[in-house]
Amino acid sequence: MASSATTVAFPRVRLRLRPFRLAELLMLAFFGVAMGLPLLFLLTGSFNLSPPGREVVYGFGNWVRAFSDPAALSALWMSFILSLVRLLPAMVLSVLFAWLIARTDMPGGKVIESFCWIAYFVPDFPMVLAWVLLLDPNFGFLNTAAKSLPFVDGAPFNPYSFWGIVWVHTATGGIWFKVMLLTPIFRRLGASLEEAARVSGAGTATTLRRITLPVLSPMILAISVLSFIRGLQSFNTELLLGTPAGIYVYSTKIYDYIQREPAAYGEATALGAVFLLVLAILLFAYWKLLSGKRKFTVVTGQGYSTARVKLGKWKYPAFGGCAAYIVVMMLLPLLFLVIGSFMRRYGFFGIDAPFTLAHWQRLFADPIFLVSLKNSLIIATVTAVGGILLYSTVAYMLVSRRTIAAPALESFCWLPHILPGILLGLGVLWLFLSTPLRHVLYGTVWGIAFALILSDSPVTTQAFKAGLLQLGADLEEAARVSGASWWYTYRRILLPLLGPMAAAVGLMNFGSALTSISTPVLLYSHQSRPLSILLLEYSFTGELERGAALGLLITVIICAMMFVARKLGLELSGSR
Amino acid sequence: MAKSVLEFLEVTKRYGDFTAVDRMSFTLCEGEFFTLLGPSGCGKTTTLRLVAGLEEPDAGEILLNGVPIASPKRGLFVPPDKRQMGMVFQSYAIWPHMTVFENVAFPLRVRRETAAEIKRRVLQVLETVGLAGLEARGATEVSGGQQQRIALARALVYTPAILLLDEPLSNLDAKLREQMRFELRALQRKLKLTILYVTHDQTEAMTLSDRIAVVNRGRFEQVGPPFDVYEKPATSFAGEFLGRTVMFEGTIKSNHAGRCVELVEGSGRLFLDQGQAGRFAGGEAVRILTRPEDIEILPVGELSQNDIPAKIEEVAYLGDHFEYHVHAGGHSFVLSATKRERHSVGAEVRLRFDPARLNTHPR
Repeated sequence: MASSATTVAFPRVRLRLRPFRLAELLMLAFFGVAMGLPLLFLLTGSFNLSPPGREVVYGFGNWVRAFSDPAALSALWMSFILSLVRLLPAMVLSVLFAWLIARTDMPGGKVIESFCWIAYFVPDFPMVLAWVLLLDPNFGFLNTAAKSLPFVDGAPFNPYSFWGIVWVHTATGGIWFKVMLLTPIFRRLGASLEEAARVSGAGTATTLRRITLPVLSPMILAISVLSFIRGLQSFNTELLLGTPAGIYVYSTKIYDYIQREPAAYGEATALGAVFLLVLAILLFAYWKLLSGKRKFTVVTGQGYSTARVKLGKWKYPAFGGCAAYIVVMMLLPLLFLVIGSFMRRYGFFGIDAPFTLAHWQRLFADPIFLVSLKNSLIIATVTAVGGILLYSTVAYMLVSRRTIAAPALESFCWLPHILPGILLGLGVLWLFLSTPLRHVLYGTVWGIAFALILSDSPVTTQAFKAGLLQLGADLEEAARVSGASWWYTYRRILLPLLGPMAAAVGLMNFGSALTSISTPVLLYSHQSRPLSILLLEYSFTGELERGAALGLLITVIICAMMFVARKLGLELSGSR
Repeated sequence: MAKSVLEFLEVTKRYGDFTAVDRMSFTLCEGEFFTLLGPSGCGKTTTLRLVAGLEEPDAGEILLNGVPIASPKRGLFVPPDKRQMGMVFQSYAIWPHMTVFENVAFPLRVRRETAAEIKRRVLQVLETVGLAGLEARGATEVSGGQQQRIALARALVYTPAILLLDEPLSNLDAKLREQMRFELRALQRKLKLTILYVTHDQTEAMTLSDRIAVVNRGRFEQVGPPFDVYEKPATSFAGEFLGRTVMFEGTIKSNHAGRCVELVEGSGRLFLDQGQAGRFAGGEAVRILTRPEDIEILPVGELSQNDIPAKIEEVAYLGDHFEYHVHAGGHSFVLSATKRERHSVGAEVRLRFDPARLNTHPR
């Protein structure tokens, strides 16, 4: 009995491993082409004097030209300064928010947290547009309101400026993401650490200053570095607000180089390569920081974390402050986006019949809009489905620990984390233009989806890895031992358990594909223009009212989808 | 009796519908080691946290040295940092960003002692708990047992009014736990500490305490010195939680030999000693609790006054003794016996009870 069982089992095991190896090799080959080559092109393309797809001519001309252009250097410098300047207020505010939500008896903490969550998913480009509607020197509502005051001369606010960019950044991406990352960290901190300080004789403020913040400081520092790096990758706000004022960051400068006639691929790539190096150094520092020796392991006892800091008479002012911040930074611009989309001429409240449905009607009647909508839906669907299929497989390979190429696969999956959207777009553009892929993918919706799938890899792979690790091998093995085949196990055990998570990740990627500008901006053509690029074009051509309508539409779609994702129960905090 | 340090008067704490502490009262005297013993979720830790000021009571009053520190009806609540307590948490709550020295010095620093005084007292208390020489180490780089000592040193460094210990030994391995138990007792005697101790471990409770309170569902089942609580369990819960008990139910009868308890189903009778017998009227339904080690297994023979017939259902050999599952008086229970005599499965035996160790309670 036993011997016959072994003779049957052996060939089976070998048969099962072989497809696994094959899949692994395929996967490596795919990532080598899809991620390795763009990166290679980004690094070598700067030394290539001829445009992509032509015969290669090596030289330093691009570097000389790029860096003899003072604007290129100042764009690099501006990227750093902008990211650094807006980091400090955002960190202070988000630590305060997270502490209030997770650690104190402030009323309405859950509501504030939910709003931060929603605000994080509101796409940033429509919000930038909304701030233009509020702050523009000529028609911005806050400026016209201020001008009507007797003691104000001229327009006090100007979004097309350094501080304008900082402000809008703080409002759009500033604190929401950090609050979402910090709140669970504050929550997880064992309450007994604080309680021990209280019993030892320390008051609320002393405990916060001497215990809570120092204990969390490594995490807070890590999030600061991460935010700084993410800040460097920003594109949309700088494009819309910086370009009119002649303020360039490296990403808008690269865009500017490619938009020239003829496109200055070499200079753009040289600038990108420098930036890539800087980012790699920063990420290495970040990684060192996270895996450093001074990682505080906090022993937590039984879950007695119910006790919260009592704010006393500060309870309601604290809530009021948080609520006011949310109203001013998120709800007010959203409101003006709505108003803007219904105004015949934005900013002119005094004219006859100032409100109209015309912009919405014209938007839906615009054939370009309909084509863009179709493009966007195709791109987002392909991105979401493709991402799930690809990265669940990769994650399964990484988690199963049978793969021999785990380090290579893992680093490929992390690459897009370093690559800002604009550089990924540039790298993929090189790939398309220099290889036969040109005929299939260049300028098509598939090409855009391809780039977006790549950009989703870190988050998606990590989510699936976490999900699979949480399941543990036992559940799967138990099914196999019970006699289920691999396919049956996948269908009846893995899929039902991972399904909701996969759906939520898919929705998230669908959403980010719908709103992404920096990745497709170098890859689209007139046939494959998605909605987000259409929105960009509306705002460039000054069709603000129609832009507001389109921005609002995108925002509503995204918010609705994120609610569905949340219902599916995905804990997003920390996965990005 | 010594002066009372803490008075806990009719204190109630509710979490929504759940009453964690239900009108609980007790007094803690100076230099006393008082233990709250009970299963998890019985309210013992909540009681400790109410004393520390980490929870606010919903009703009742807590007095420290005669002064109220929490009294909902007067709207009074002294925050934990103003109560002069020392507390050791189950997780130790060692601050990971500080050295051993800084952890222990913290209570003195917030009290703004001079640097020289802080140094003197921290080194002294580290010496006391046996951590001398480790002060420069990172607090979480040391072993679990040493972390436990740091937590103790931190709680002791400013001579607290009461030392609160929340299952301090439960995260240690068995050997270390035993050692720390003895050290803790020695320390308490040496420094004359007033200790409120929370545990679910009966050995800790028995060996450490001056008095034990058996807690169940937010109330005290029984309070008293370990010997009394063990020998005279007031309730079957108290008896079961501290050691093992055998319980019978029956009715009080009088006959020529005195008062006895007629067990259910006429399966036998047990005579009570004079003191207990007088407390009950004839015909009253009672419950008898006794300890298995106070029951003797005898070979079948003539039943004397406190014998009841029994039958062996199962035998287990544990090397140093036998364990018998016996059926008697309508119940099955486990008794231990020495290796000197053996009874086989199915054998008829007599069980002999000690009248002085029968605890009779009304049903």
